Amino acid sequence: MNYERQYVWSILFRLFHWALALSIVVLAITGFYIHDPWTNSVLEGGGRFPMATMRYIHFVAGFVFTAALIVRLYLFLFGNRHERILSAAPVTGRNIKNLFTTLAYYSYATDRHEHRLGHNAVAGTVYLITYFFVIGQMLTGFYMLYPESATWQSIGGPLFGIQQQARFIHYLIMWYMFIFVAIHLYLLIWNDIKSPEGMISSIFTGNKFKPKHDRA
Amino acid sequence: MTSNSDELVMNPEVSRRGFLKGCTMAAAALGLSDAMIPKLVEAAANPQKPPVVWLHFQECTGCTESLLRASHPDIGRLILDIISLDYHETVMAAAGHQAEEQLQKTIKEYEGKFICVVEGGIPTKDGGVYCKISGRTAMDILADVAPKAAAVIAIGSCAAFGGIQAAEPNPTGAVGVRDLVSGTPVINVPGCPPNPVAFLGTVLHYLTFKRLPETDYLGRPLFAYGRKIHDHCERRAHFDEGRFAEEFGDTGHKAGYCLYKVGCKGPETYNNCPTARFNDAGVWPVSVGHGCIGCSEPAFWDMMSPFYERLPGVPIPGGDGIVASAESTGKKILGVAGAAIGIHAAVGIGKRLVKGKSDDEK
Repeated sequence: MNYERQYVWSILFRLFHWALALSIVVLAITGFYIHDPWTNSVLEGGGRFPMATMRYIHFVAGFVFTAALIVRLYLFLFGNRHERILSAAPVTGRNIKNLFTTLAYYSYATDRHEHRLGHNAVAGTVYLITYFFVIGQMLTGFYMLYPESATWQSIGGPLFGIQQQARFIHYLIMWYMFIFVAIHLYLLIWNDIKSPEGMISSIFTGNKFKPKHDRA
Repeated sequence: MTSNSDELVMNPEVSRRGFLKGCTMAAAALGLSDAMIPKLVEAAANPQKPPVVWLHFQECTGCTESLLRASHPDIGRLILDIISLDYHETVMAAAGHQAEEQLQKTIKEYEGKFICVVEGGIPTKDGGVYCKISGRTAMDILADVAPKAAAVIAIGSCAAFGGIQAAEPNPTGAVGVRDLVSGTPVINVPGCPPNPVAFLGTVLHYLTFKRLPETDYLGRPLFAYGRKIHDHCERRAHFDEGRFAEEFGDTGHKAGYCLYKVGCKGPETYNNCPTARFNDAGVWPVSVGHGCIGCSEPAFWDMMSPFYERLPGVPIPGGDGIVASAESTGKKILGVAGAAIGIHAAVGIGKRLVKGKSDDEK
């Protein structure tokens, strides 16, 4: 079968993806340390600042995470046609149909599926839910980073409650992220095995491969 | 100590020295310059004492006790000296009908002028029958008194947010004053108990400037509840340097290290305990080796417990009340996700073995 190279993910989109992915890894490790510091300096006068250092890295990574989110929101509106929100959000008739056919395809009920260059509607739906949690993670994070700011108190208080509730939500969303990453990686490899369109390499190169006869 | 209790017995009036000291403490707590102290003193010494009606609902009287039984009696006596306490079930001499008449007289005579202090939560379930005084429910009394007051001060976490009565499952439907009173300014001075200095500062601010102090989004005065305990804690350096008490009584605990790992809620709590301290003896929970339990935050019985762990436990739905920690719940969810992935992969491989390669793979 002949395949044709097609440019799908822009440079900005790939940068967003890796900024978000790497920041999540860093945030999870440092976040776990802040939640339950597994080291104990014990000795005084060592000049070590493990908690201060971990918090510093966590906050910097938090800003990278926020920047990545802002870039994604921008691309939702002004990205290329695969990156825009309507390309995969389950709001158009075509996407709603694709949502069910893809679910059937993923559950082995059928082998037929619509070949798409961008996200399929299942991915689009899950990503929207994920960005909802990403925004929640960002807001709880800033609420805790600036606990004495009247602005963040007026945002975080009504949305999440007291600091402890925000911390709790922040912690639970981290577990959502872990689950998301596990399923995300699994489905990527699964798709790569099922249809050799180069889904995994596309997030490095921006290119996907499409069977030539498929062309509309 | 002896001289003080002697003084109390001999002379129930607050001494001039004690009076000035109390006003200075309040000015310091309010963050006012020392140039303002004479104004505070003047306002506090005004012979026209504002009448105060002190209502007790679902509470333990701990707030009153901590106010009156401070090691040095100055603050409690100062407060009793600068206000005219017309109705207070714990300290008033009158009882029964006499007391209730006094209440009615005050709220009629000083309508729009008196200060109403509320101590304790207010039950609202079943018409509020779970707290009654002289045949009237707490809801009735509050609805009668609060609209006629110039301002309402909710003292303690119960009056501010419902407190322990409002903890899950809140059998009496208890709420704080702000949930029931609108129209009259309400200020929350939460804590279990609150520092008497915070209460004194609020009262003196009102007397001096004729308005309540600035508050945060929960109605707490910023001068006392504007900063986080964690950021002013004397053990903060140990936190940053990663030196923790792993459990009570261990080497780290004896050395005075950070109590974060034994569940201190200082990082989530707004209060001035590290600076104002308690009992005129310069102590507060963390200074004596016990973590903060976040008593001045709303819903602290639900959200801050278990007091010796960082995050609240998560009840598993349908688990017959079994409470697992958030972490173990997370691990279970992750396990389920992993199992789902495994099953999905197994079905895929199985199907492929049975049916052979699909068309687009050939």
